[in-house]
Amino acid sequence: MTDTAIRLLLEFDDQVRRDQEQPPAFLHRRDRKYALDCQQRGVSPSPRHWLAHLARLSGQGGEANADAALGTWRRIITGFILAGSALGALTMLGLLFYEGGQRINVTVILAFVLLQCLLAGLTTLQAFAGWQPWRPLLSRFSDQKSVRGLRQLQPQLMARAAHVGGLAFGVCGLLTLLVMVVVQDLAFGWSTTLNTESQRFLGLVQAIATPWQWLWPAAVPDANLVETTRFFRAQTGGIISDPARLGDWWPFVTMAWVFYVVLPRLILAILADGHLRLRASRLLDRHPGLIALHYRMETPTLETGNAHNDAEHQPDTTTNSQLMPLPESDTVICWAGAGEPELPDALNGPDTLVLHAGGRASLQDDTNTLEKAADHLATITRPAVIVVTRSWEPPTAELQDFLQHARELWPSASHVAVVPLTTSGQEEPPTHQVQQWLRFTERFGTNFACVSLPPLFPRNPYRQGEL
Amino acid sequence: MDNTPVFAVVGHPNKGKSSVVATLSQNDAIAIALEPGTTRQRQAYPLTVDGRTLYTLVDTPGFQRPRRVLEWLDAHSVSASDRAETVAAFVTQHRDDPRFTDECELLTPLIEGAGIIYVVDGSVPYSAEHEAEMTILRWTGRPSLALINSIGPDDYSNAWQAALGQFFQVVRKFDAVRAHFEQHLSLLRAFGQLEPAWESPLEQATGFLADQRRERKTQAARLIAKALEDMMSYQEKRTLTTNQATETSEQTLADTLRRSWYQHQRRREQTLRVSIEHLYQHKRIQRQEAELEWHSDHDLFSEDSRRVWAVSRRYLATAGFGAGAVGGAGIDALTFGSSLGTVALVGGILGAAGSYFYGDRLALPALKIGALQDGLKTATFGPVQDSQFGYVVLGRAVDHWWHISHRNHAGRDQLDLAPADSHWLENLDRKSRQDIQKVFDRCRKRRTPDDRQRVTFVAAIEQAMTVYDDWRLNRP
Repeated sequence: MTDTAIRLLLEFDDQVRRDQEQPPAFLHRRDRKYALDCQQRGVSPSPRHWLAHLARLSGQGGEANADAALGTWRRIITGFILAGSALGALTMLGLLFYEGGQRINVTVILAFVLLQCLLAGLTTLQAFAGWQPWRPLLSRFSDQKSVRGLRQLQPQLMARAAHVGGLAFGVCGLLTLLVMVVVQDLAFGWSTTLNTESQRFLGLVQAIATPWQWLWPAAVPDANLVETTRFFRAQTGGIISDPARLGDWWPFVTMAWVFYVVLPRLILAILADGHLRLRASRLLDRHPGLIALHYRMETPTLETGNAHNDAEHQPDTTTNSQLMPLPESDTVICWAGAGEPELPDALNGPDTLVLHAGGRASLQDDTNTLEKAADHLATITRPAVIVVTRSWEPPTAELQDFLQHARELWPSASHVAVVPLTTSGQEEPPTHQVQQWLRFTERFGTNFACVSLPPLFPRNPYRQGEL
Repeated sequence: MDNTPVFAVVGHPNKGKSSVVATLSQNDAIAIALEPGTTRQRQAYPLTVDGRTLYTLVDTPGFQRPRRVLEWLDAHSVSASDRAETVAAFVTQHRDDPRFTDECELLTPLIEGAGIIYVVDGSVPYSAEHEAEMTILRWTGRPSLALINSIGPDDYSNAWQAALGQFFQVVRKFDAVRAHFEQHLSLLRAFGQLEPAWESPLEQATGFLADQRRERKTQAARLIAKALEDMMSYQEKRTLTTNQATETSEQTLADTLRRSWYQHQRRREQTLRVSIEHLYQHKRIQRQEAELEWHSDHDLFSEDSRRVWAVSRRYLATAGFGAGAVGGAGIDALTFGSSLGTVALVGGILGAAGSYFYGDRLALPALKIGALQDGLKTATFGPVQDSQFGYVVLGRAVDHWWHISHRNHAGRDQLDLAPADSHWLENLDRKSRQDIQKVFDRCRKRRTPDDRQRVTFVAAIEQAMTVYDDWRLNRP
């Protein structure tokens, strides 16, 4: 009676339980890799092979829970065997109790045998129907954690234990009967309250003895035996012509016990074991974990390219620069189309020199613009230039190059105010847009460049953000 | 030669290149900031199936000196036929020049055969400043597609579309933060249209991505089912010595147990949140967990959240009828049908009546203090006896799942789980309701559902997720 199928189910269930804590992506990768390895080696993957594969990688020790659960049931079976053996011997002693006055009533023994048959049948029926009237008792006396994996097999496990116990009961009863036959002078007879004729009783016992009449003819009672061994309780000390005939019932009783107590239990115990294995393998086949495992093995793993992580490498967005007042200047350079279609009035006076650079202009155009501005700045005492930009466009290295070049060409006292404009040119740019320009001018390191907002919108003193 | 398609995502600085890559590669760990120059080096994001790459996205820095590059190219090219070679020569020449680091980084994948995905921001006006870089890209001779991303609220996409159409083979609108999953797939298919050899791998990739999404939904349903089972059957237990039992009043003990019970349930819900987020590869939200905007009236046990997420009496009555009828049918089966299904009917009616009259009472889990045994006293709190609790948790979990499954990986804003204002579960079919109710009933009796019940429970939750999705997206 091996528990291979149950052990496999338990180990699989245990592994699935452990896997519940793992991220699905990991499980998919692991099992798909296993399936591909199997395919490469021409091995067909199975739960047993899969478990062996995992055990090989993790080392031994994972089957402790299966051992614990099976151990519990082994103890239950042992208990049944011990109890069955003791009860079998005691019951037989009870049935054969003979104090010399009364005979041992074969009818009682037959009734007991019938009861045993009924009990065996009920046990099997209960296993197939899945009834568990004894479950509260089991939960009380066993470790719930260890039997958890076997909950669905409990009716079959209990049936097997009961049948094995019943078998022990039958065998011990049989042994006791044989011992008693040897060591005692057993006087059997038959008796019943019903007004039964001997002929009918003979028919009954011969029908009962049908299975072994070819095997042991002496164990089939004849008409004479039935006739001579009938007794009545009130008939005390009745004369028996041949007292030896009273002992002739023992072969029949033995065979009846073997065929109707021992054999049914043996057959049903084997059937229960088979049923248990079948149910264990069915449970494994329908195990949600196995369905999920098949899916993971059959479906390719998909990595969408999320291994790279640079979320921590965010740029430093702090700045110490402040917005400066717009300098007085009559030179405005529109960078990359800023100020189009027209500059705000505050920046565009009648004498303002408006120049263009960046965007569609060529690098040579940029240089020409710088030279024109240089000529103009050379004529004034406090040279300042306003460079208007599109606030939403990030400052690029091209603007940086342009301003560096300007610094070289223009008079040393020259000063640049970068003025970021919004799409309408009428509102204050959002804080994050102004900040990128502050950080940009900060890179020049001196007072050469700063960021200003045109006076078309007075600064709001309650505005959020450190500008 | 490796024919795996490679797509270089290029453009002006700070136009959402990294956002597009983050969304398509489902990577929320890509640095995205409203700061030009966040990306300094190119970074490849391959999509692999069983280790085989189907396509690779390359995130690149933005153009910094396009006019200077174009000037150099103009100066070194004789005719249109040598333009691609001239671009390659530029990269070779300036590889170590710090002024052109960004240009070399973004042009290298293109001269190695990558397709061009040019990203612009459609929420700001078109600027001729971009023409130099678009010209450079055209010089590479690579298949190209322009994406109009939208970072801000304004829409200038028509102007962009007209301008981009002159430089690129295909022009598509794609909001990296808000685009639905179907739009991701559609965009990837469009990538595949750029060159005949790319169509098949991109088609395969979209198929795998769609499968993955379906499977994730089922896995999310399993996670929610497991959490519901845990939470509905949870019992808080304390064992007190005789002295402790006499020193502690019943009220204090009840308060302590109730507090611990609530804390455990909240922790369990948070664990579920994190599991769902990780399932969808949102790993950064976990760090923002403390910053989640949980208004006090959204709290799991507040009356307000109960009002929003709990189900109506009618719903409970339907589910209760099913559960009662199943019990009655069992008795009918025992009588081999001789009761002609009457017991099932009676059971159904009793179940429905019980659920209708008692189901919506917030029967908080009762405190039970056991008798003194071996000098010890055991006090327990839970499991919750009100099925509504399960529906509250289910509603919140499905809502969270919906937000996560529709959240793009470019999204960096906080996850705000605002309460919905309708009993969407009313749309759930009867069978699913009964399957959910059946498991709730088992759990509150501390009976473990069997495998078959678990399977139907997961299927019912998945159905609830579909119903919620339909309800959210106003699908009939």
